[in-house]
Amino acid sequence: MSRLGGRPALLAFALLALLPLTPWMSKYALLLAFDALLFGAVAMSLDLLMGYTGLVSFGHAAFFGLGAYASAVLLQRGVLSLWLGLGAAALAVGLYALVVAYFATARRGIYFALLTLIFAEVVYTFFRYTQTFGGSDGIQGLPAFELLPGVALDTPARNYYLVLGYLALAWAACRTLVGSHFGKVLVAIRENEERARFLGYSVQRYKMVVCVVSALLAGLGGALYPGRAAYATPDLLLWTVSGELIIMVMIGGLGTLAGPVVGGVFFVLLQEKVSSYVDWYFLVVGLVLVAIVLFMPRGLVGLVDGLRPRPGTSRLGARRAAA
Amino acid sequence: MEYLIGVLLPQLVHGLVFGAALGLLALGLTVIFGLLGVMNFAHGELYMLGAYVGIAVIGVTRSFWVALVAAPLLVGVVGALTEVAALRPLYRRPPLYGLILTFGLALVFREAARQVWGGDMRRVQPPITGSTPLLGMTYPNYRLFLLAVSCVLLLAIWLFFTRTRAGIVVRAAVEDAEMLDGLGVDVRRVFTLTFAGSAALAALAGLLLAPVFTVYPQMGVEMILLAFIVVILGGMGSMGGSVVAAFVIGIAQSLLTLWLNPQRVAIAIFALMILVLIVRPRGFFGREGVLE
Amino acid sequence: MTKLLSLVTVALLVAGWAASPATAQQKVVKIGDLGSKVGVFEGYGKYQTMAMQLAVEELNARGGVLGHRIEMISEDDDTKPAPAVRKAEKLILQDDVKLLVGAVSSGATMAVMDVTRKHKVIHWNSVSCAEFMRTTKFHRYYFSNQPDSRMQANGLAKYILDRMGKRVYIFYTDYAMGQSDGRQFKTALEKLGGEVVGVAGAPLDTKDFSPWFGAINQANPDVLFLAFAGTDSLRLMTQLHSFGMTKKYKLAGIDCFLLQQDLPAIAEPMEGFVQLAHFSPYNPDRHMQAFNARFKKRFGVDANIMAGAYDGVMFWAAAAEKAKSFDADRLVPLLEGMCLDDTHIGRQCIRKEDHQVVMDMHLYRVQKGKNVPIATVSGQDTIGEPLVGKDPVAGFTWEIKKKN
Repeated sequence: MSRLGGRPALLAFALLALLPLTPWMSKYALLLAFDALLFGAVAMSLDLLMGYTGLVSFGHAAFFGLGAYASAVLLQRGVLSLWLGLGAAALAVGLYALVVAYFATARRGIYFALLTLIFAEVVYTFFRYTQTFGGSDGIQGLPAFELLPGVALDTPARNYYLVLGYLALAWAACRTLVGSHFGKVLVAIRENEERARFLGYSVQRYKMVVCVVSALLAGLGGALYPGRAAYATPDLLLWTVSGELIIMVMIGGLGTLAGPVVGGVFFVLLQEKVSSYVDWYFLVVGLVLVAIVLFMPRGLVGLVDGLRPRPGTSRLGARRAAA
Repeated sequence: MEYLIGVLLPQLVHGLVFGAALGLLALGLTVIFGLLGVMNFAHGELYMLGAYVGIAVIGVTRSFWVALVAAPLLVGVVGALTEVAALRPLYRRPPLYGLILTFGLALVFREAARQVWGGDMRRVQPPITGSTPLLGMTYPNYRLFLLAVSCVLLLAIWLFFTRTRAGIVVRAAVEDAEMLDGLGVDVRRVFTLTFAGSAALAALAGLLLAPVFTVYPQMGVEMILLAFIVVILGGMGSMGGSVVAAFVIGIAQSLLTLWLNPQRVAIAIFALMILVLIVRPRGFFGREGVLE
Repeated sequence: MTKLLSLVTVALLVAGWAASPATAQQKVVKIGDLGSKVGVFEGYGKYQTMAMQLAVEELNARGGVLGHRIEMISEDDDTKPAPAVRKAEKLILQDDVKLLVGAVSSGATMAVMDVTRKHKVIHWNSVSCAEFMRTTKFHRYYFSNQPDSRMQANGLAKYILDRMGKRVYIFYTDYAMGQSDGRQFKTALEKLGGEVVGVAGAPLDTKDFSPWFGAINQANPDVLFLAFAGTDSLRLMTQLHSFGMTKKYKLAGIDCFLLQQDLPAIAEPMEGFVQLAHFSPYNPDRHMQAFNARFKKRFGVDANIMAGAYDGVMFWAAAAEKAKSFDADRLVPLLEGMCLDDTHIGRQCIRKEDHQVVMDMHLYRVQKGKNVPIATVSGQDTIGEPLVGKDPVAGFTWEIKKKN
């Protein structure tokens, strides 16, 4: 149980479950909370890659958005079952992730970041310009999911509980992964890939697995989105969304799992409230990100040991060592 | 035959013009990556800044030519300051941080430009107007000038890297910075100056292309993606590869627009990249083992 | 772990704060102004805000509506459907607006229609011109005084063929609005005996249009018909001009191709451009001049076609006064068939069947950077039959029918 975060985690989820019953949670607030928790969960999935394996994915939005389109296409055709929507998303995202993971993990370092970015751009371009999926307007006017035939998830409260359930499961999955032997190997790869290789671990395979797992979590989250928004648009696939996910992870705290969730919630809420009033909001976000990277890599929640600068390695040697 | 001259040839020229400009941009990216191990996500924004600073200079001096000299210099200074203040502290850390930092910088530059100059599109009057009847189509003179200037610049850069001492020092630093440091060269200064140089180059490209593509805060974002593809195709760290790949992409994009839906062209370019990655993972001229 | 706990709690308290609506002191009714305030269609969005503001100020000076002061809340939709939907949700669910005007981009407007239908809010559109809004996507709370692509085609096609040329090339912006214009104009031109020698679409926000010029030149039309808007139009005209094509072909286009204030900057490329629109500050019509004078006095600049948003607020206010209520279901029957005499172009009447305003329009030609009227086209001739619930593009094909 402690592996899953113990009592504090339980308490947190209990509080979250009781939230819709409080007086200030209007319909609109519940919609907002949905977005906050959803993106928090997706940021957490990214942390598996970034914080634990040391791989920066600039294309994480593609996993999320692809999952959204998969379930949206089914909803559009009258297939209202939540489970089929999730299944379709898992299938689509899983296949896509396998392809990307194969190319992106075959080479070291920078290739992963660049290739995830470029593949995500392919997905974006594909959906943006293909009229069958609505082109740049996307798929609009979707009905709500059905949990079971007759039980529609058509109120903000129901959708909120849906995403809370998803967050709980994702949390459990991530914690289990990270606490297992597999998770330890990931950290070893992050710390010194060559040594991990010399120790006999098939580094590429580990990277591919964590990439696909992370992608699936993001994709399942994405599948839930059309249920709340009644649409799926190419904007969900923009690299700026991938960037925002990275920012959420950094704000919250790299390599902590809980941190990115908090970072995600924080980011969504702040953006909603502030960006309507000021147009320099994103400038501040950028400055905050730069500041965090330079001065506070621990983010809000704290950093796992080992990501501090190692004494004795100058930049001159770091390129070879860390690449 | 009329089709060849009236339609095909102008498209080819489009492709060359665009490819040359793309080459300038990608070159800076490749050199910085080879040297510092940092993929500069803010490179597109340096390109954008070149155009905006150019507009500002033109506003004061009323001369595009003065801006063409002043803007790259100013942006070069910005680049130098950025390298010293923001990048240098991160050399000791895992490359993940450098990536995220440049991404953050890109956001900062972009939004700062939006605040200072506004979000709407700006137009820059081309310094050379009029058009030439070129093989059946009237081709704007400025675009021809662009082509010429880009090629001259690429040549100049090649000469710099092969014939001048400074250029050779940079190449040596890319090869093995540690050794160079041991030989007594102030490697940190090489880093800063090279970064400034790549920024200036990007800025120059930005201002040169401004009369064609207009100026707006998102312009860097769109170019950088192509620049990344060029760098991957050409081979990480290979300058010659970047230039060749840039022309290939520029021409491919231009010609494909004739036959394919322009939207499909983008996908075709990606497919090309993936194909190359499968067949020859290190790109056209990538060095074996650099990051393989 | 306590960190997680406290941070999550804080975060969700923030959520509560974030979602809490402000409390009002006196009686206030809110209306929503949704549209592109930045980016490619920025001008349209800004002028929409100004037009609505003028209406709000005039109404508030007369005591407001039903004793309530009108407060306008403006939101930017990023020219995309998804942010438009979210802002619409915010305006409706959080700000409790009783009237929503918007959006600018047709894609965004259609997406917002789903929201206004679901929550039963009066939705006024005065700029988006795709032909689906009063046909397949129509719902009873939707009203419009923007001539949609079908109306424009009805009004302009004949003039093009009679006075400009029989061979037309249609170049459009490849999303909802442009596709709609392309379809309707192709249909109208071909029905009247013209020949559409080519069609091509360029994505929204294209930077360099020259890849398409080769095909245009090859087709060798008499008339180049352009369905673009905003900064795309600016770029396109500049580039067409630099390739000598503005002199080579006659030019025609849609009403929102360029706002009047953008014309002086590219007067030369635009010389001779013909379009069908309802308003121009250079139209001597006394209603337009009177409105323009008021607008100019308030904002210091001439008005443009976005002035239709002014009428939207006026119609809504008049209906609310009559109904003695803001309830949308009570307003709808009153709005149907309602006529106002002092709109920005004089008399406008809302047609009952598809909630579209019947309005007289004018053919304008750009002369030295000004939109000058050259003919009047009656509203009845352009509005076309109501096609509520019917597919307005049934049987349409993009195929070019070659004539020898």
